[in-house]
Amino acid sequence: MNVLKIIEYLRAKAGPLRIAFFVFLGALVLLDILLPREDAHYVVDKIWAFWTFFALAGCFLLIKICKGIAHLFLSKDEDYYG
Amino acid sequence: MDSWIHPALFFFVGALLLPLLRGKAKKGFILLIPVAAIVSVAFAQYGMYGAYHFLGAEGVFGRVDKLSMVFAWVFVIMAFLGALYALHREEDGHHMAGFFYVGSALGALFAGDYLTLFIFWEIMAFSSVFLIWYGRKKESIAAGFRYLLFHIFGGLLFFAGMMLYYHKTGSLAFNSILPPNASWPEYLILAGFALNAAVLPLHAWLPDAYPEASVEGAVFLCAFTTKTAVYVLARGFTGFEILAIMGTAMTVFGVCYAVIENDIRRVLAYHIISQVGYMVAGVGIGTAMAVNGAAAHAFAHILYKALLFMGAGSVLYVTGTAKLSRLGGLYKYMPLTMIFYVVGAVSISGFPLFSGFVSKSMIVSAAHHEGRIWLMSFLNLAGIGTFLSVGLKVTYFAFFGKEAAEPLHAKEPPLNMLWAMGLTALLCFIIGVFPQTLYVLLPFPVEYRPYNLGHLSETMQILCFTGLVFYLMVKKLSPEAKMNLDVDYFYRKGTLLFMKFDEKVIAPVDTLWGELYRTLGLRALFKNAELSYLFDRKAIDGVVDGAAYSVMDFGSVVKKMQTGRIQTYIGLSLFLFFAILWLVL
Repeated sequence: MNVLKIIEYLRAKAGPLRIAFFVFLGALVLLDILLPREDAHYVVDKIWAFWTFFALAGCFLLIKICKGIAHLFLSKDEDYYG
Repeated sequence: MDSWIHPALFFFVGALLLPLLRGKAKKGFILLIPVAAIVSVAFAQYGMYGAYHFLGAEGVFGRVDKLSMVFAWVFVIMAFLGALYALHREEDGHHMAGFFYVGSALGALFAGDYLTLFIFWEIMAFSSVFLIWYGRKKESIAAGFRYLLFHIFGGLLFFAGMMLYYHKTGSLAFNSILPPNASWPEYLILAGFALNAAVLPLHAWLPDAYPEASVEGAVFLCAFTTKTAVYVLARGFTGFEILAIMGTAMTVFGVCYAVIENDIRRVLAYHIISQVGYMVAGVGIGTAMAVNGAAAHAFAHILYKALLFMGAGSVLYVTGTAKLSRLGGLYKYMPLTMIFYVVGAVSISGFPLFSGFVSKSMIVSAAHHEGRIWLMSFLNLAGIGTFLSVGLKVTYFAFFGKEAAEPLHAKEPPLNMLWAMGLTALLCFIIGVFPQTLYVLLPFPVEYRPYNLGHLSETMQILCFTGLVFYLMVKKLSPEAKMNLDVDYFYRKGTLLFMKFDEKVIAPVDTLWGELYRTLGLRALFKNAELSYLFDRKAIDGVVDGAAYSVMDFGSVVKKMQTGRIQTYIGLSLFLFFAILWLVL
């Protein structure tokens, strides 16, 4: 099947794709720094690449806190309620 | 056009006629019903239809305006896609339950008063529970009953509020309520609505029940109940601050559970809470842009969430499990399903060119415009969690990642399911590329332009750097064969505790009482019966029999006097006369 071949092809090119992804991330930050900010009212609009930091910190904390709470007391065996 | 056929009618009548048909005619009929409803919605003109009087109150079956129409459009489109996805199912009951469910949701949409709304509200709960029971597992039966009890409770809150509201205002008309005018009746109604919208802490029924529903039933369930609730909130309760706060809390709460859950359908169910949270927050913020956003997001959400449930359902349908810990490497066996799922995932995550980008951002931007920066930040945090859980975690661990330990015998699902997924994916794409197709339906005029540099930059930063963190921390997210506690713990454990209390306290007391009665009570009863018998025998019978015998004896004496000779009678009479005379004198 063609779709499968395309996916297999992309998986085989994981290395270059990874590099392309990192370059793209850099370009996104650069783009945000270059964006005009004359109508910025709030702090989230004024700081350069605010949403980059927000995403990095937010995603890290989300995983750490959620998994932490789950392991602490939320997580139970699948037949917990019988 | 003066008259209009209510689209719900097609579903109700169609559901009743369905068992009469066989074979291909039945399949065609199942698809024809939603098509007829689509035509009915397409030709609907704004206005009030089907007014009626009941016990002095005025009711309206069909209030057709911009707000009800935007929901009606997506409901009938979704009914068609859901029917197509479920076409292979043989049980009439499943299709009938689905049609009654859609019909009642449409009935609730067009209701112009609380009474009509309440009737359809209840039909909705009672028809949808069958879609859970058709999961045909032990868990489905139990989860279905819990679902039903919860919705009956919600219905009662609504009903109590409705009665008090009638007492207060003398009217049952269902119109917008201003926050300063709201008191007990309005808040009770709000609580009933909030329960159906899965607002915290009344949300636990949703992730409890939806993952236990049938594969096809879950696709219907994820679309109608919560979105009908969003509609009624948008109709009645715009600008209620509590909704803005609770909605935002829902968005984060939902994704937190989606991050840790193992079952795909449970991830998606928790994620409904998150997504409905955006809509509830939009209603709570209450500006024209926010309410537009809530309606647009409901429209887009119904489609991509259904698409995700279709994808997860297809995995469950062919492999028999939706647990991420038992899945992996499915892209080789079901690549089309994977692509359709990914379209749903990027749509829900709000990637440019897909529907979430043009709908969710309206609500976020409305929060931004109003200067609600905290709300905006939490909504964006939920956006991170959305892409992380539904987009990356599920896609990676189900379709890529390690091959499953047990062989899965996976293949693409039946053709009708693929077609349903394909069409839904296409709609998600069309809305993303041509947002005006959706914006023209919205209740207020739209000035919002989603494709601007600032918004593109913000979205792409959030999504791509979430991708980076996922790439770095993927091991941390490995699925675990566990379930997670939620507030249903209190009532599920509570009932178990009650059962224990019953077993340990109530039942022994009952047994003791029975024993006591047997030993003391019965003995006393027998003694009493014996005495009564003796009294009856000796006293009552004695008196009655004695009287009878005396009468008999007297009779036999008198009989002997009946000689038939007149001189004896005269002599006897004279004797009696003198005897009485002697006694008297």
